[in-house]
Amino acid sequence: MEKIIEIKNLRKCYGNNEVLTDIDMSVEKGEVVTIIGSSGSGKSTLLRCINLLETPTSGQILFKGDNVLDQHYDLPKYRTHLGMVFQQFNLFYNHDVLANCTVGQIKVLKRSPEEAEKVAKENLAKVGMEAFIHAKPKQLSGGQKQRVAIARALCMEPDCLLFDEPTSALDPEMVGEVLDIMKSLAESGLTMIVVTHEMDFARDVSDRVVFMDQGVIAEEGTPEHIFNHPTKERTKEFLKRVLA
Amino acid sequence: MTKQLTKWTFTALLLTLFCTLFPSLTHAANQEEFRIGMEAAYAPFNWTQQTDENGAVQIQGSKEYAGGYDVEIAKIIAKKLNKKLVIIKTEWDGLAPALTSGKIDAIIAGMSPTPERQKTIDFTDVYYKSHLVILTKKGGDYAEATSLADFKHAKITAQLNTFHYSVIDQIPEVAKETPMDNFSAMRVALESGVIDGYVTEKPEALTAEKANSHFKMVEFAKNKGFKTSPDDTAIAIGVKKGSPLRQEINQILGTISDDTQDQIMTTTIDRQPEENKKEIWVLKILKENGGMFLRGAGMTLLLSLVGTVVGTMIGMGIGVFRTLPTPTTAFKKALNKLLNGFFTVYIEIFRSTPMIVQAMVIYYGSAQAFGIDINRTVAALVIVSINTGAYMTEIVRGGIFAVEKGQFEAAEALGMTHRQTMTSVIIPQVVRNILPATGNEFVINIKDTSVLNVIAVSELFFQAKTVAGSNFRFFDTFFVVCVIYFVMTFTVTQLLRRLEKKMDGPDNYIPYGNQMQVQKPEASAKKEG
Repeated sequence: MEKIIEIKNLRKCYGNNEVLTDIDMSVEKGEVVTIIGSSGSGKSTLLRCINLLETPTSGQILFKGDNVLDQHYDLPKYRTHLGMVFQQFNLFYNHDVLANCTVGQIKVLKRSPEEAEKVAKENLAKVGMEAFIHAKPKQLSGGQKQRVAIARALCMEPDCLLFDEPTSALDPEMVGEVLDIMKSLAESGLTMIVVTHEMDFARDVSDRVVFMDQGVIAEEGTPEHIFNHPTKERTKEFLKRVLA
Repeated sequence: MTKQLTKWTFTALLLTLFCTLFPSLTHAANQEEFRIGMEAAYAPFNWTQQTDENGAVQIQGSKEYAGGYDVEIAKIIAKKLNKKLVIIKTEWDGLAPALTSGKIDAIIAGMSPTPERQKTIDFTDVYYKSHLVILTKKGGDYAEATSLADFKHAKITAQLNTFHYSVIDQIPEVAKETPMDNFSAMRVALESGVIDGYVTEKPEALTAEKANSHFKMVEFAKNKGFKTSPDDTAIAIGVKKGSPLRQEINQILGTISDDTQDQIMTTTIDRQPEENKKEIWVLKILKENGGMFLRGAGMTLLLSLVGTVVGTMIGMGIGVFRTLPTPTTAFKKALNKLLNGFFTVYIEIFRSTPMIVQAMVIYYGSAQAFGIDINRTVAALVIVSINTGAYMTEIVRGGIFAVEKGQFEAAEALGMTHRQTMTSVIIPQVVRNILPATGNEFVINIKDTSVLNVIAVSELFFQAKTVAGSNFRFFDTFFVVCVIYFVMTFTVTQLLRRLEKKMDGPDNYIPYGNQMQVQKPEASAKKEG
C-alpha cells in the first residue's frame, strides 16, 4: 500500500506549552483513520498541523515521500491535495453554494468556469445539495452547510480529506445526514482522516482508530482492537466515559 | 515569490494613487491677466450679483459677477495697464496669503494699509478715504447716540483682524465682544440682538442701512468720534512686496481725483442689489439664487462622493497592505516597516487635526512653501480624500477584523494564495462590513466639506455665504440651505440602506423544482439557520 501521509517525531508548542509530543503516524491510500480522544488532547491541532494551518515546532510531515516542511515546498499546491472540512463549516459568506464550490477550482486549479461548474454540480449532487446551487450560506441549515462544505472540498479532487469534528456544531437531528455522506465517501475508497466524537462512526466506518491523550498517541489499532480489547488503562477509562 | 509580488503590487498601487492625487496642475502666471482678489461680499466696495448689469465683472471659475467700488477702480487700472481684469473671489483672511503665494497680483478689497499688514505686503497710494461709524439697530437704545460716550455698556464688535476692532477700546466702559469673521455674521448678530452695534466704515454702513430697514448708522461729529490714524481710514491696493506693479498703479491712481472717487462711490451705492419685500421669501431666494444653490450642492456632492470613494480606496489599500504576511528578506522587512510607519504617521496626523486647518496648510502652504499653485477644486478633492482615507483605514481594519478567522483558513485550505484569499473571499466581505460606516463617512463629508469655504471652493455653504452677503437675508438664506443639506444627506442615507438590503438578500431560500430533486429530508433541515 502506498503511504500518502507520514508524520515523524512531530512536536508542537505554544510558547512553553507543549501540545503535541513525538507524534508518529502514517496514513495509507484508501484508508479511513479516525482520531478520538477527550477535549484538549491535541486531536484538532494534529489535524491542523497536517495541512499546515498550524506550523509544527519540529518533526517531519512527508506527503508521498516529500517533506512538506521544507522551505522550498509549494505549500498552496500541497493544500490542493488535502481537502479540509471544518467544524464551523467556514463556507464563504460572499458566495452562493455553486460559487463556493467553483472558486477554488477556478482560482487555484485554473479550471475554466464551465468545467468548474460541471464538477461542482456533480459533487453537489453527491451530497444532495444540487437544488440549492444559488442559495447563500446564511439561507442554509447547519447540516446543509456542512454538506456543501464537503462538496467544496471534493471539487478539488484531493488525495485525502481531513475532517475536523464535522458534526460537533450541528443540532442532533442533522448529524445523521452528514455522517451518511461521510460513510458513502469512505465506501467509495477516499482516503480520510477524521477527528470526531462520534464513536459509532469510528467503530463502524474507520479502518484504524487513533486514541490521543495529553498530546501523545496513547493507543492505535483496528476499531475491534480499540473498542473491544483496549490494552491501555487510559483508553479504557476514556471509552468508559464516552460510551456510558 | 507570489506573496512578495503581491506586496509590491500594492505598494506600487498606493504610490500611484498618491502621485495622481498630488498633481501640481499648475497654471503659470499669465502676463496678459491682472488678477485681483476680493471678498465680493463687502458692499459697496465689492459684492456678488447674478448678471453683468452696471458693468459687473465675471468672477473667475464661477457664473457670478462682482460689482462695486473696488471693481470700478480695478477696471480703470486694468484698462490703463492694458491687461485683462480677472476677479478671484477670496475670503478676507485668505487675501494676504493668496497675494504672497502669487495666486493673485493685487488685493483691491477695501483694505486699509495698516503698519501690521505692511510687514507682509506693500500698499499703493490711497484710493478711497472714509471714516468710522457704528451701525446699530433702528429704534434701539443707541440709535440716537451722537458721541462715543453714548455707547457706554453697549455690546460692540468689529471684523476680525481689522483696525475697526482695536478702536472699540476708545469707547468708555464698552462691552467689547469677540470679533467676527465677516460682515454678514455681524449683521446677523446685530439683527438678532446678540450685539448692539459694530464698528464699520461709512460706505459699508450706508449699504447695510439701505439693504435692511432695521439698521441705523450712527455718525459722529468731528471730535466726538474715533481717533484714527490716516493709514487706517484710508484704503489702498495691496501688492506683493517689492512689486513693480506698485509704481504703475500709483501713476494710474494719481489720475483719479477725489471728486471722481466720490462720484464712483455714490453711483455704486445706488447700484447695489436691493431687496424687494413683496414676494414670498423662500420663492424669491430660490428664484434669484436657485442656480447658485444647485451648483453649490453639485460641488458639495462631487467633493463628498469623490472624497468618500477615493478615501475608501486608500483605506482599503492600507488595510490590505497591513494583512500581508511578514516578508522574509531583510530589505523588504525594512521597507515594510518604513511604509507602515508612514501610514501610521499619515493616519494620526489627519485624524488629529481639523480639516479646516489641513485645507489652509495644503492650499496656501503648498503655494507659499513650494510655489505649487493647485487648482482649488483639485485641492479640495485631495483634502477630503486623504482626510477620509485616514478614517477609512481604521474602519477597514475593523472590517477585516470582523471577518471570521475560519474564512481565511478555509481559503488557505483550498490552496489559495494570500492575494487570491483577499480578492475572492475577504475583500468582498470587508466591503459589506464597512458599508454602514462608509455611508456614515459620506454623510459626514456632505456636511463637513462646508469648511472648505476657507479656500473659496464654491460648495454649498460658500454659495450660501455669498448669497446672504449680498441679500442680507441671513435666516432665510441659511434656512433654505439647511433644507438642501438635509435633503442630500437623507437621500444618501436611504439609498445606502437599500443597497445594504440588496447586498444581503433574503433570509430564506426556496429551491426551484424541489419536488423532483430533493431526496433527503430537507423540509426539517431548512428551518435551522
